Amino acid sequence: MSRSRKLAPPAGASSATARARVVAVTGATGFLGSNLIGSLEEDDRIGRVVAIDVGATPTAGRKTRSYDVDLTQPTAEARVAEILAAERVDAVAHLAFLASPTHATAWAHELESVGTMHVTVAARHAQVRKLLLWSQTWLYGAHPSNPNFLTEKHPLRAPRNEPYFADKVEAEEQARKFGQRSPGAVVTILRTAPILGPTVSNAVTSYLARRLVPTMMGFDPLVQFLHEVDAIAALHLALLRDVPGTFNIVGDGVLPLSTVIKLAGRVAIPIPHPVARTVAALGWVAQLVEAPPSFLKYLRFLCVADGQRAREALGFTPAYTSREALLDFVSAQRLRDVKLLTETHA
Amino acid sequence: MTRRKGKGDGTRPPAAKSARRSPRAASVPPPSTPAGATETVLDAAPMERPSDPDVGARIRELEARLDKMIDAHARERESGAELEPVATRAELRPPMSSRPPPPEPDGMFDTARELLSTDFYLRKWGRLGLRNRSEDVDEFGYDPVYEQKVLPFFDFLYDRYFRVEAHGAERVPADGRCLLVANHSGTLPFDGMMLRLAVRREHPQHRDVRWLAEDAIFHFPFLGSFSNRLGAVRACQENAERLLDHGALVASFPEGMKGIGKLFKDRYRLQRFGRGGFVKLCLRTRTPVVPVAIVGGEETNPMLSRVEYLTKALGIPYLPVTPTFPLLGPLGLLPAPTKWKIVFGDPVDLEGYGAEAADDEILVGRLAEAVRREIQGMLDRMVTERRSVWFG
Repeated sequence: MSRSRKLAPPAGASSATARARVVAVTGATGFLGSNLIGSLEEDDRIGRVVAIDVGATPTAGRKTRSYDVDLTQPTAEARVAEILAAERVDAVAHLAFLASPTHATAWAHELESVGTMHVTVAARHAQVRKLLLWSQTWLYGAHPSNPNFLTEKHPLRAPRNEPYFADKVEAEEQARKFGQRSPGAVVTILRTAPILGPTVSNAVTSYLARRLVPTMMGFDPLVQFLHEVDAIAALHLALLRDVPGTFNIVGDGVLPLSTVIKLAGRVAIPIPHPVARTVAALGWVAQLVEAPPSFLKYLRFLCVADGQRAREALGFTPAYTSREALLDFVSAQRLRDVKLLTETHA
Repeated sequence: MTRRKGKGDGTRPPAAKSARRSPRAASVPPPSTPAGATETVLDAAPMERPSDPDVGARIRELEARLDKMIDAHARERESGAELEPVATRAELRPPMSSRPPPPEPDGMFDTARELLSTDFYLRKWGRLGLRNRSEDVDEFGYDPVYEQKVLPFFDFLYDRYFRVEAHGAERVPADGRCLLVANHSGTLPFDGMMLRLAVRREHPQHRDVRWLAEDAIFHFPFLGSFSNRLGAVRACQENAERLLDHGALVASFPEGMKGIGKLFKDRYRLQRFGRGGFVKLCLRTRTPVVPVAIVGGEETNPMLSRVEYLTKALGIPYLPVTPTFPLLGPLGLLPAPTKWKIVFGDPVDLEGYGAEAADDEILVGRLAEAVRREIQGMLDRMVTERRSVWFG
C-alpha cells in the first residue's frame, strides 16, 4: 500500500489555510483508516494527523498522534470533543465502519450509528468545519427497478431490516444533519463501490475467497469494483478539496458476476432463488456464510453506481478499472490459496 | 506453485507459451495480417529439428497453407463490404479474449509432460470457463464474443425460420441518436433480436440496435441475463437517456407487457403506448423517432388465454395458454414458423417542439398517439396485403 499516487494539487488550493491542516481520522486501525494515515503522512499539506480508535495504528509516523477512544462507550462524545478541540482539528474523516456484516449487531449499531452521532456531536462542539464520511454504494440497494447506473440523487433503498445497511444509512443522515446544523461546515460523503485489492479484506473478498461461490440460478447481474488504492486516493483527495456533497467513488467498467467468478478461478454453485433465502439464513445462523440473506439481492439485481459526479466536481479519476481491481485481488488471493501469503490484513 | 498460474486465467498461458517459443519463431517472417499471429506459433513448433527430412516437408507444407490462408483472408476483406462490420468488431475485441488454439505438442515427451502437469488441466479449465465470453462487457452488459457464439442460432431464425424481410432500413439515420418504436409481438420476445439483426444486415451503416426490455423479461431467470449479454437493456428513462446521449440507436416497444400479452384475437391492434414516456424522452434528448411495424411475430405463439391465477408466486406476470403450450410442455413454446416482415417508416422529427414540451402532458399524449396511429396504419396495410401467414 505504500504505492503513492499522484494527487493533483488542489487548483487554487480552495480554502486551504495558511497553516498545514490538522486531520482527525476515526477508525484509524481499520483498512481505510490506517492506509489513509499512511498516505497523509507523506503529504506536506497535512500538518498533523489525529488517529482515533482502540489500539495503535500500524502506519502511524512522525505526524500522527494516536488517542485510544472506544466510540461505543457513552463517554466517547465528550472525549472526542476534547481531543478535537485540543488538537485544533480542521477536518474529521469518519471511517469507523464495519466492512463486512457481523453477528454482533447490537455492538455494530453502537459503533456505526451511535458512534457517528458521537463523532458529529463532538465535531459540532469543537467547531470542526469539515466532515468526511465513508459510505458505500451498496446502500442504494439492489432492486429490479434500478437503472443501470445509479446517481447520487437516487434514494438509499438498501433493506432497512438489515442492521449492516440500516446503521450506515443512519450514519449518513447524521452526517447530513451535522452539515445543516453547523453553518459553513463542509460535509463530504464518499460512497465507494465494493473495494477489492491485494490487501483489503471485506465481505466481497471473503465471498470470492471461497472455493465454491454461491450464485443465484439464472441471474447474472453486472457488478463493479473499486481498487483499494483508488479508495484511499479518493478519501485523501476529498480531505484536501473542500467539495460538499455526496459522491459515488467507483472503478470504470462493469463485469457480469459469472465472469467475475470465472476470472477468480472459482466454481459457481447456482441456487434457485425461491429456496436461496432459507439456505442463506441457515448458513448465516450456522456461521457458514459471510453475509446474511438480505445480501442475496445483490446476486440477483443490479447495484451499479455512476461515478461521473466525482469525476467532475471532486476531480477524482480511478486508476484501476473494475476488472483490473479484480485481477489484482485475484493475484494475491491465489497466493493466499496455497498459503504462500499469510499476512494478517486489517 | 502450479496453482499460481492456474485456474481461471485461461487467457494467459497461450501468450506465455508463444513468448517462450519466440526466439525460434523469430526467424519466421512476421505475417502482415492479424490472423497470421496464430500461425506463427503453429509452424514454429516443427522448426525444432530441421535436420529431419519429414519435418522439413511438413514445414514447407505448413508454409504453403499459411500463405494460402493469408491470401484468402486478404481477398475476403477486399470483396465483402458487408463483412466489414463483423471484421472490425473482431478487431476491436481486446487482444486478451482472442485465444489462439494451443500449439501442437511436438513430441512424445512434450505431450506426456504436458498431460502430467496439473497446470495443463488448470489452464484447460480456465479456458473452458471463459471460452465463449469476453473478459469485458460494455457498460450495459453487452458481450460481443458471446453474441458471435450464439449468432448462428439467430441467423438461422432470421434466414430460414422466420424468413425475415426488412424494408426501408435506410430510413434509419446513418449516425447519431435515434429511437425505433415498434409493436411488440409474440409470447416469447424474439422481436428485439430480429430487429437488431434486420438493422445490422439491411442498414447501409450496419448499425447496432440496443433494445429496451421490460422488467418481466429482463429479470426472468436465464432469459434476462441471456438477452442482456445480447444487447438488451432494462427499459427505464435513465438507461434510455444514457444510451441516447452516447448516440446509440435504441429500439423501444412502448406497448410493454401489454404488447407481449396480447391475445390472438387482438393481434396487430396496438395497445396503449405506456404513458408516452418515449415521447418525453425524445423531446428531452432531441431524438428523431422511426416507427417500425413488425408483421408475423404476433402469430408465432398465438395466445388464446392468460392465466393470472397464482402466477405471481412463480414470479411471472401470467401463464400463456396457446394451442400447444401447457399441452406439450416446454416444447409447446416453440414459435410457429411464420413469415416475418419488418418495415421502417419515415422518421418523425420532434426537433421543432423544444425540450420544455416534455412537460406538456397533452402534447406528449397527442404525439404518442400520432406515432401509434402511424404504426397502426403500417400494420393494417401490411396485414391486408399479406396473403398467407406462413408464406407472406
